[in-house]
Amino acid sequence: MATMTDMPGNINRQKAVGIYIHVPFCRSKCHYCDFCSFTGLDGVIDGYVDALCRDIESFKAEPQGYPSRRYTAETVYFGGGTPTLLDTEHFEKILETVDRRFNIEDNAEISAECNPGTVDVEKLRGMRRAGVNRLSIGLQSVHHDELKMLGRIHTYNDFLKTLDDAWRAGFENVSADLMYGIPGQSMSSWAKTLEEVGSMNLKHISAYGLKIEEHTGFFENPDGLTFPDEDTVCDMYEYMRDKLCQMGYNRYEISNFARQGFESVHNLKYWLYEDYIGFGPSAHSFLNRVRTENSRDLKAYLKGENICVSSSLIGECEAMNEYVMLRMRLEEGVDKKTFFDKFGVDFDSRFSEKFNHYAPGFVINGEKSCRFTEKGFLLSNYILSDVLNFEEM
Amino acid sequence: MSQNERMKKIRNFSIIAHIDHGKSTLADRILEATQTVSEREMEEQVLDSMDLERERGITIKARAVKLDYTAADGEKYVFNLIDTPGHVDFNYEVSRSLKACDGALLVVDATQGIEAQTLANAYLAADAGLEIVPVINKIDLPSADVDRVRSEIEDEIGIPAQDCPAVSAKTGLNIESVLEAIIRDIPAPAGDESAPLKCLIFDSYYDSYLGIVVNIRVFDGCIRPSDRIRLMSNGKEYDVVEVGTMDAFGLCKCDLLRAGEVGYLTASIKSVGETRVGDTITLAENPADEALPGFKSVQPMVFAGIYPADGARYPDLRDALEKLQLNDAALVFEPETSAALGFGFRCGFLGLLHMEIIEERLEREFNLDLITTAPGVVYEVVLRNGELVKIDNPASYPSPDEIQETREPIVKANIITPTEYVGGLMDLCQDRRGTFIDMKYLDSTRVELHYDLPLNEIIYDFFDALKSRSRGYASLDYELKGYEVSKLVKLDFMLNGEPVDALSFIVHEEKAYARARKIAQRLKENIPRQLFEIPIQAAIGSKIIARETVKAMRKDVLAKCYGGDITRKKKLLEKQKEGKKKMRQLGSVQVSPEAFMAVLKLGDDD
Repeated sequence: MATMTDMPGNINRQKAVGIYIHVPFCRSKCHYCDFCSFTGLDGVIDGYVDALCRDIESFKAEPQGYPSRRYTAETVYFGGGTPTLLDTEHFEKILETVDRRFNIEDNAEISAECNPGTVDVEKLRGMRRAGVNRLSIGLQSVHHDELKMLGRIHTYNDFLKTLDDAWRAGFENVSADLMYGIPGQSMSSWAKTLEEVGSMNLKHISAYGLKIEEHTGFFENPDGLTFPDEDTVCDMYEYMRDKLCQMGYNRYEISNFARQGFESVHNLKYWLYEDYIGFGPSAHSFLNRVRTENSRDLKAYLKGENICVSSSLIGECEAMNEYVMLRMRLEEGVDKKTFFDKFGVDFDSRFSEKFNHYAPGFVINGEKSCRFTEKGFLLSNYILSDVLNFEEM
Repeated sequence: MSQNERMKKIRNFSIIAHIDHGKSTLADRILEATQTVSEREMEEQVLDSMDLERERGITIKARAVKLDYTAADGEKYVFNLIDTPGHVDFNYEVSRSLKACDGALLVVDATQGIEAQTLANAYLAADAGLEIVPVINKIDLPSADVDRVRSEIEDEIGIPAQDCPAVSAKTGLNIESVLEAIIRDIPAPAGDESAPLKCLIFDSYYDSYLGIVVNIRVFDGCIRPSDRIRLMSNGKEYDVVEVGTMDAFGLCKCDLLRAGEVGYLTASIKSVGETRVGDTITLAENPADEALPGFKSVQPMVFAGIYPADGARYPDLRDALEKLQLNDAALVFEPETSAALGFGFRCGFLGLLHMEIIEERLEREFNLDLITTAPGVVYEVVLRNGELVKIDNPASYPSPDEIQETREPIVKANIITPTEYVGGLMDLCQDRRGTFIDMKYLDSTRVELHYDLPLNEIIYDFFDALKSRSRGYASLDYELKGYEVSKLVKLDFMLNGEPVDALSFIVHEEKAYARARKIAQRLKENIPRQLFEIPIQAAIGSKIIARETVKAMRKDVLAKCYGGDITRKKKLLEKQKEGKKKMRQLGSVQVSPEAFMAVLKLGDDD
């Protein structure tokens, strides 16, 4: 059953979306990274920005012959790769284009991922002028040996410098990315990273457990790497959660912590099952229940070819399951009334029997909402893979 | 042609050898040399017709083939080459096949010399009263030492070998000399075609068109289609439909088979279980006074539970076992259920190799994934009330307080090894509760060791351990000696307090603690962490003798959500869901079939 807002009759109603811009360039490839990025191609960045703008300009959400809906961009997110390899002019050009096509809202959140060592205060000022109002800086660790282990090109001092530049350029909403489970990392080194980063007055911290993906440096050359064991990694997570909460951050998503009011609006769109449109190689979109995926073919993209490799309409049952999968990543879990309003189906009738197997130790399934407990959060894959059934009729 | 002249032109023989000494290759060359099979038609090793046999390089079931040979002197002869299985598991079948012959070619590898099965086979042939013709093979190899092997044969087996054929079956060198030796040294069959019928069954198999085809050697009398025959072991009678001989490509019908000849008969027989190898066939109207000696019905020595990994395929497993049994009277099975593994079968085998072959055929030919429980042997338990019970399944083991005495089967094992490995192998036999009998030097480099060993120690990967401790050089042969009193216990395992029947087994008391610890350890390594802590306990009766704990899982979460790539996370969860479907639910604990197999296939050195 389609909801009212999704019906073709409601075309006049405008729809707020998130815009994701992929910047697939890096100085060098980190050992854990399997995102789409290329090194040594700085020469094609101009051409890439042109291709990107043409792509944004000519974006069509509706099939041929259907009237276009009006969209507004509630968020713009530059992800990578290393978006800070773009010049100020590039940011300006892209954001102008997005604004022309999608109408960026006045108080929109415009984020850019930023790698220390690739920016100076001038560039940050330029980005700020172009409209970027949130920075997400990839720090990962305050320890030199851990940064080196990960294949990062910067030092902790580079980060401190970049952060200082960011303050000076007028950024207030700054986030840092951290990583735990790094080969050679110990509880005490992790505690030190958290202690330092937690006291920097950052508005937001993301912390991801290292996971070895195929086609990465770690995957190809695992020799000599000793990863912290599962128990240590759990301890690291729990320590982090307690520590950051003590320091005034709220964990609003399993791996994301924010000061009150500084949750990432863009990332929340993924978890709240809202619409977003991605541009560039490997970008994903989710719009009007249609999910599309771009290939990683940068060359084809530069030539202006269509690189969309899959496009599928998400059925009602699949959508409900995806919704639960994503919402359960959030501290607040699934709000049952919101679920009913969206799908016209009672959450309990669909999911509660299975979730209740895990209550109360792992899941709190109350009258109004269903969410994970602390223990449950860390076991969410185990539990969700049992509860969810994307294919059921 | 008189009866006498006809019989003088027949030679019935088989080829016996230690594994890999070149038995099948020699058979091929003989087939070629007698032009029974041209080189072009020759699919390598025609006699071994099962895929599995070809891969393992062993012959599982006997086959026979009739060959026409014109000797150097121009006389025409009929050769009946009867193939024999080449493994200790099939000793009885070997001895029956040999009974059908008048002589045997004993193939010895010129580079290896005599091995355990060379001796065992030579003794079997001698017991069957056969003339043994040694053939030294692989003389084309640089390390061949024909003279040494000739004297080994003379010294160890006690048969003349100075003039025996020395050949290369691989290149075909000197094959003629083998054919001439067959005529010269192997006696023509004896027998009287006017006496009451006496045929030996040396093999039988199921054919979907003909029903059971019985391979026979006629000792006395004649057999024709429509004769009413009787099986002397059980008195069952049938009407003969067809008789004939076997060539390399199939069956050739004929009018009758006479004393001295080898051939087949069909008689609307439904199952190989009725035509036991070693049984004597006679005519119902004019029966022989007594059967040929030596018949015994084969008893399975090794038992294990076989279960489909996917419970829904139980009917397929049953069908597959029934089909295999059509051709394999030694395979026995009956349904059993396990709380852990669901529906399956308790199967009995001649030995471990037989079991492995059956498992492999089930998996390969019937496309089944199996879970096999630890193999066990048949134990004897004397109860306090004096009753003797035979136990082939740990599930039916009496409770300790009912037991007066326990006994286990012991085998006489014969191991031949290069001297440098003697120490290691004696340690192995000691470790496997062996009793040293004696030791004999075959020459300055090789030793023959005799031990009495409990059969249940041998089926527990003894052969692999033997090979690994002797770098593959030691060879083993064994035969059942009998039952001896032994202190046995039943070992049970519990997961989260609930017994897992499929893991129980019977073991000698001395070994129980070490095995219990090892298996508990293995379980711990192979049971995935679950939402709760899982205690693993090993117990004899109510006494816990080993324990381990699978700690509760703490973390199973995808930290990062890859930008907007929802599909990736979804696929991960779906894959995980698939994996869970394959899990076996043991009470509250989930265990994958792979984990079960890892635990059950416990090796020697780990």
